[in-house]
Amino acid sequence: MSQNSRRTRVRQLAESVWPGRTVNGYANLIAARLRRLADEGSTGMLPVAGRGDGAVFFRGGQVVNAESSRTSLPSPRTSGLAALGLTRREASHSPGAPGPPGPPGEGHPGEAGLVAARSVSRLTGMLELTELIIDALTELLSSESRYAKFRPAEVLPVGQGRPMPVEALLTEVQRRHEVQRQLAAVLTPDTAVARHPSLDPPAAQVSPTQWSLLARAGDGTTPRGLAMQLGRSVFGTTIEVYRLLELGLLVVPGRPPPPADGRLGTGISFIRAVSGERGSDALPAVS
Amino acid sequence: MILPEAGDLLTPAMAIDGFRLGCLVDASTGMVLASAQSEDAPAAPTAAAGAADLVNVLTLLNGKLATGEILEDVMITFSDSFFMVRPVGRDTEPRILLLVVADRHRTNLAMAHRSLRDLCASFPA
Repeated sequence: MSQNSRRTRVRQLAESVWPGRTVNGYANLIAARLRRLADEGSTGMLPVAGRGDGAVFFRGGQVVNAESSRTSLPSPRTSGLAALGLTRREASHSPGAPGPPGPPGEGHPGEAGLVAARSVSRLTGMLELTELIIDALTELLSSESRYAKFRPAEVLPVGQGRPMPVEALLTEVQRRHEVQRQLAAVLTPDTAVARHPSLDPPAAQVSPTQWSLLARAGDGTTPRGLAMQLGRSVFGTTIEVYRLLELGLLVVPGRPPPPADGRLGTGISFIRAVSGERGSDALPAVS
Repeated sequence: MILPEAGDLLTPAMAIDGFRLGCLVDASTGMVLASAQSEDAPAAPTAAAGAADLVNVLTLLNGKLATGEILEDVMITFSDSFFMVRPVGRDTEPRILLLVVADRHRTNLAMAHRSLRDLCASFPA
């Protein structure tokens, strides 16, 4: 799929409406726009341009999909931008790739999730799809992004995606931005990494996911590049790459090696990334 | 809640005596997928973030030791509550964590431990 073509077309859409800049960039404006679309129960697409061009798809005021040119797509089949002609057609028909999106409502990997997640494998599958949508939103809600005019639609081209409430998504995106800020001094999604010159595999135990990253890491590899190559979340891949840095299996070229205790600054803390407020998104209270 | 459908998987955990909070957490990113809680439950996002941090530290320890072992569960005792974390599924690299927080004064730890083990084993693959 041609990211350049998609970026150009979405930027053209976004240039039609150019909101005023705020002190904190455009991210707050986009969040406010998403909340308003949720309040209005909107169905359609909100194009977003900037560092990560793409779109957020709504159905009935809830987000059913999001795509960014700087994150992995769940699959060409689920690409709403492709169905709207905002990507190059031939890219969707590359050898081995699934066909273009089918008619609205024909089916979607997240559709099964509308029933229930009664098995671990189904839950994992739903998580993988959801993760890529949140990953795209995390990129789209950067301070350099701008939204364009909302394009309402009777029926979305992305099938029956699993609807997610805007407020829960914005909370999660904010948490991810905070985690990214923690890592920024050591690693960003675009920091080049390389395998440690004296890598000694038996000296450390890694997961299959980490091993797949290690196997592909070469000079100039970035977490984003690895994620796009593997079709995984940029956020999740950046965290796994950071853990490989902690294990001393990857290094950031040009930076001094980590101290003997292996600590890289303050490290990742999910606790520090969440606010102290009580969660309100739980199942009904039990007695 | 990001995956409300996953809340069904938490229903059996709510039967544990002294149950206060149950969460399904993405181990890699710390994201709360679903949660269920009683009225006196701690904040789900904070508890889930702590569980993910704990497992990450233990995974780092395991990685450094390189003994080939797999993390089965984490049991933590506070003055008033138990925190119990267990990977869901039988993969060598579990993607999802189950966190249960229970009232220490109303919970039999051994029974709760057994319940969680059986619960995770009973999840259909």
